[in-house]
Amino acid sequence: MVLELQKPRPIWQIMFSTHHTDIGLLYMISSLAFLFMGGVLALVIRVEMFSPGAQFIADSMTYNRIFTVHGTNMIFLFILPFASGVGNYFVPIMVRYKDMAYPKLNAIAFWMIPPAAALIWLGFADFGWYAQPPYSAISAPSPAAEMWIFGLKILGVSSILGAINFIVTILKCKHPDLPLSKVPLLAWSFLSSSLIVLVAIPTFAAALLMLLTDRLGVTGFFNPAMGGDPIAYSHLFWFTFHPEVYVLVIPAIGMMYEIIPRFSRKPIFSHSSGMFAFILLSIVSFASWAHHMYATGMSFTEKTVFMVGTLAAVPASAMHVFNFLATMWGGRAKYSTPMMWAVGGIALFFSAGAGGVVNTAMPLDFITHDSYWVVGHFHLFVFGTIAFGSFGYLYYMFPYITGRMYNELWGKVHFVLIFIGAVLVFFTQHILGLYGMPRRIFDYPEIPEWIAMNQIQAVGAVLLGVGMTIFLVNLIYSSAKGKEANMDDPFGLGGKYYYPYQAKNPHHD
Amino acid sequence: MSGHSNWAEWVYIGVVVALLAWVGAEAWNIERLVEHVPEDAKVIKVTGQQWFWTFEHEDGTKESGELHVKKGIPYKFEITSRDVIHSFNIPEYLVLMDAVPGRINTVWFLPVDEGEFPIQCREYCGLIHYNMRGTLYVEDGA
Amino acid sequence: MKNIIGLFMVLSILVIFPTVQIVFAAGDEAGEYLDRRIEIWNLFFRMMTVAFVIGAVVSGTMVWLIWRFRESNPKAIPTKYEGTGELDR
Repeated sequence: MVLELQKPRPIWQIMFSTHHTDIGLLYMISSLAFLFMGGVLALVIRVEMFSPGAQFIADSMTYNRIFTVHGTNMIFLFILPFASGVGNYFVPIMVRYKDMAYPKLNAIAFWMIPPAAALIWLGFADFGWYAQPPYSAISAPSPAAEMWIFGLKILGVSSILGAINFIVTILKCKHPDLPLSKVPLLAWSFLSSSLIVLVAIPTFAAALLMLLTDRLGVTGFFNPAMGGDPIAYSHLFWFTFHPEVYVLVIPAIGMMYEIIPRFSRKPIFSHSSGMFAFILLSIVSFASWAHHMYATGMSFTEKTVFMVGTLAAVPASAMHVFNFLATMWGGRAKYSTPMMWAVGGIALFFSAGAGGVVNTAMPLDFITHDSYWVVGHFHLFVFGTIAFGSFGYLYYMFPYITGRMYNELWGKVHFVLIFIGAVLVFFTQHILGLYGMPRRIFDYPEIPEWIAMNQIQAVGAVLLGVGMTIFLVNLIYSSAKGKEANMDDPFGLGGKYYYPYQAKNPHHD
Repeated sequence: MSGHSNWAEWVYIGVVVALLAWVGAEAWNIERLVEHVPEDAKVIKVTGQQWFWTFEHEDGTKESGELHVKKGIPYKFEITSRDVIHSFNIPEYLVLMDAVPGRINTVWFLPVDEGEFPIQCREYCGLIHYNMRGTLYVEDGA
Repeated sequence: MKNIIGLFMVLSILVIFPTVQIVFAAGDEAGEYLDRRIEIWNLFFRMMTVAFVIGAVVSGTMVWLIWRFRESNPKAIPTKYEGTGELDR
């Protein structure tokens, strides 16, 4: 184990290390810190929206900044780095190699995150995580906007460096006796998401640069008065960020591929389906970006093309759901905390996907566009699927990393509170969207249905907050004082716990 | 690779693809119907700007924040913006179209019920986005 | 097995073509304009019906799987992979 709090290693040793387990740990711990910080912002938002009128946020500009930083933080400072952390820690183990392909580059990629995070949090921009011009070019205040732009530029580079590292490690550094078809699906998930990153991120890097020069007045890419078009930014942004949402979800699905077979005491139903589905999704994810832009004035033909592209990505996700259910069938499953998270995550993944199919039907966009339906939909993905998979995996890996067990009862309490809270908040948001409530609004008129649903959400949000606090305490307390785990089989599943190849951190025994 | 038969997976994928094809076909068809603008639709120019809506009827009448239309007559909105992207939305009539500076987007509708209906902005546009509202008044045509 | 797939494809095409043709024939004539609210909400509710039916099937299956194959079920038997080492890839 690498994180032994009772005999702590010198902190500088972890910080200057280039070993994949240390860097993985740095990614995971920092991303969890940002998760909690972003979660506080979310709680503030939901409590403020409890009823019409200002509750305790004085003005709309503060509110606008809060939702911008909440979104930016959760995607770029929690989900992506947490996945990178898991990947860094486990991919070398899974491909039976001693470290990542480029350990120093790995460290550099991690250390780009704290300065970028500082820029984002200290800037506290207000234009939503899309940074859509012309608002972000002509109306958003400085220096917040420039700090956000620079912060994201740095994070984009960090992502690309990490992606290169994963691809080379998996394809070139894997053990000669290990064929690619036998590489675990979690590693495949990092391979596919890294391939998407390499193709998709440069477009956003270009868009950011163009936005910056537009802000400086030097160019007019997105300024109609200078011959530009704000919708050009939308295309560049969504060409990156539609595939990027698959970059977010694919590692979480990979994590579920680790948990579900082991806790069902059976191998995955079809390893080849899993591989095929990941690769198919990586390719098809590039065909759907403008479904985010149906309301911008696209022609009927354009909308149809993107609707078909979006629908084409659904079978790949459906294959994963089938794979999970078919694995559970005929097993003998132990519902410890990790398994509860993984299975709950599949249920919410399915509902998120079903809502997505509704969104992509072109006429239904007139109902759902930029309303709370969309907010509910994507939160079912980022929270219901990605966070669920991530928490489950974190519990699963806890004994491996720390040598101790977390408290099982509180782990289950955490799950129940979060599941109920997530349903209360995110399912309600779908209905609220159908009633016409737009997103990104500080205040709303006194429509009784809107008020009622906002209040239900606030209750759900408090449940989420309580659950996450329990989680935080469980993590910290158990890392230091948890019962020592039986490292061969901490969950009592029978068979060896994890890959027979242990992580050998040179600084640690 | 996998030693066991997986005909069940193929059937499942067949069902999924069939369902998605149905969704696509239905959506395509309804969108085609909804986008067909009647030839005799009256044009109303809609301009969004931070943070209010203005309207101009065919006969030159201008309105700000309020829009008066007659029941039973189709109207076509030609929507643009003076500054940032807004989105013209009459939720109860499912009218929704972005107001983008530098272009004119079109959407049409038929006011069927008399009454007052809220107009709101559906694209984040800054400080008063949350209150960029208006009212649609549908009056009896006779 | 191939016959079933073939049958499925034929059936799905048979369902889709008539639907498309029937609605192609309909349309709005001068003097009668379609009410976009009705068309769009109608589509929404039809899709919601399908989504909830599928949701019931998927979640029902999941609940059954969780119940039937939990280790504390009296009918639970060890899987054929337990104890063989095959689980440890």
